[in-house]
Amino acid sequence: MAKAQSASSFSKNDIDSEFLELGANIGVINIEDFPSEYALGVNLTFRATEDIFLQLNLMSVSDVGLSSAEKNQGAFFSDGDRDFLHYDMLVGYNFFQGEFFTSSPAAHLSTLHIVGGIGETEFGDESNFSYVFGLGYKIAFYRSYILNFDVRQYVYQSSLIAEDDTTVATHMSVGFSYLF
Amino acid sequence: MLYCPTIAAVKKNNMKNTSKSKPFISLLTLAVGTILIVFTSLGVLAQSPSSNPPSVLPVQNESLLSLEVIDSFVDVRSGPGRGYPVFYVVEQGEAINVLTRRGVWYEVESASGKIGWATSKQLSRTLQATGEPADLPSVSFGDYQKNKWRVGFTFGEYSSGELKGADLFSATLSYRFVSWLSLEGELGKLFNSEVEGEFYNANILVEPFSNWRFSPELILGAGVLSLDTQPELAALGINDSNFQNYGLGLNYYVGRNFVVRGEYRWYSVSADEKVTLESWKIGFNTFF
Repeated sequence: MAKAQSASSFSKNDIDSEFLELGANIGVINIEDFPSEYALGVNLTFRATEDIFLQLNLMSVSDVGLSSAEKNQGAFFSDGDRDFLHYDMLVGYNFFQGEFFTSSPAAHLSTLHIVGGIGETEFGDESNFSYVFGLGYKIAFYRSYILNFDVRQYVYQSSLIAEDDTTVATHMSVGFSYLF
Repeated sequence: MLYCPTIAAVKKNNMKNTSKSKPFISLLTLAVGTILIVFTSLGVLAQSPSSNPPSVLPVQNESLLSLEVIDSFVDVRSGPGRGYPVFYVVEQGEAINVLTRRGVWYEVESASGKIGWATSKQLSRTLQATGEPADLPSVSFGDYQKNKWRVGFTFGEYSSGELKGADLFSATLSYRFVSWLSLEGELGKLFNSEVEGEFYNANILVEPFSNWRFSPELILGAGVLSLDTQPELAALGINDSNFQNYGLGLNYYVGRNFVVRGEYRWYSVSADEKVTLESWKIGFNTFF
């Protein structure tokens, strides 16, 4: 005979709580003054409420190509300094939550979100405080498996090409993440 | 993380299961139940409410919470958000299984097999019987939390002292022991055109009125600050120095699980000579 589980014997660990997402992405980054490169990234997302989340991102590019000034004058920096590394901590807001429908009757959750935050960008021999803002779209195409599309801008002060120049790097990526 | 049941007097769930004591039926029931749970957790039923077979009775499984609805009705939505449509209503006296939680939204399964999402406010009195905190107006913000851990980040600027104008950010992780006392670990970096540095510290946070939406906080701590220089040169007297800090903050609870924090801190750094710094910061934190 199947027994109903009494609530008094129930412990807090028995309700599965889904709030943490781990993801990886691939994309293209366009660093101002330098050629566009492929970039790989990973991220960790904490879903605070249905509208707000916190995200930690890490992305990198190895061996960025020569800028046009460097093609004329030779590389300004080399080896490890040509790797672009960026990490940031963001707050995100989901503002167009909805469902989308594929050919099956199943409905999948989706949302458009904006993100903003701060981080650090290491390139050349510099480490710069960066502001980040971006827009993205998330689709939960299979409950806990989520497809992410993101466009982000990294804004920082750099002296690599010109003295204390406000530099913008644009990063577009597509990624998968898993919600657990 | 989740909540400990505290109330023992509970309306036990009386699922209307035709009670047979034969072992074969029990085994078959368990097998069907297990398949149903697996299927549910794959999300197929959750995403397609229109394709639920209405005649299937959800079956007891040790790892699910079963409740009898005490309120007059519970709206079940197709997704964990206030904008998703209500596609089913569970009436008073009906039984539901709680499958998953996302923040204040609970995925529930009705006796007829419909699966969808309901808020903790809708289930408040029903859930309260299990010791889950009720989402009632009288329930406060800070101590709503049986969630003890808080994670987030801050960013700000040094507003006075030798590092004036330097930007800083940090990642924080804190643990709340009681409603008014937390211990926080912080790891961060600071930048300006001449200097780059790192710091880590541990703070005690005293928040006596954590049940208010705007809640003040006292910060006391100590840590280590170390500075490197950027390619543009400048030498400061601080290198791997210990410091103490104290500060005042204000926490603003947005929703149940998200806190925006503003703070102002005074630092006393033991370098070759005593250096005093001040900073303001804004932080974003979530509980789990």
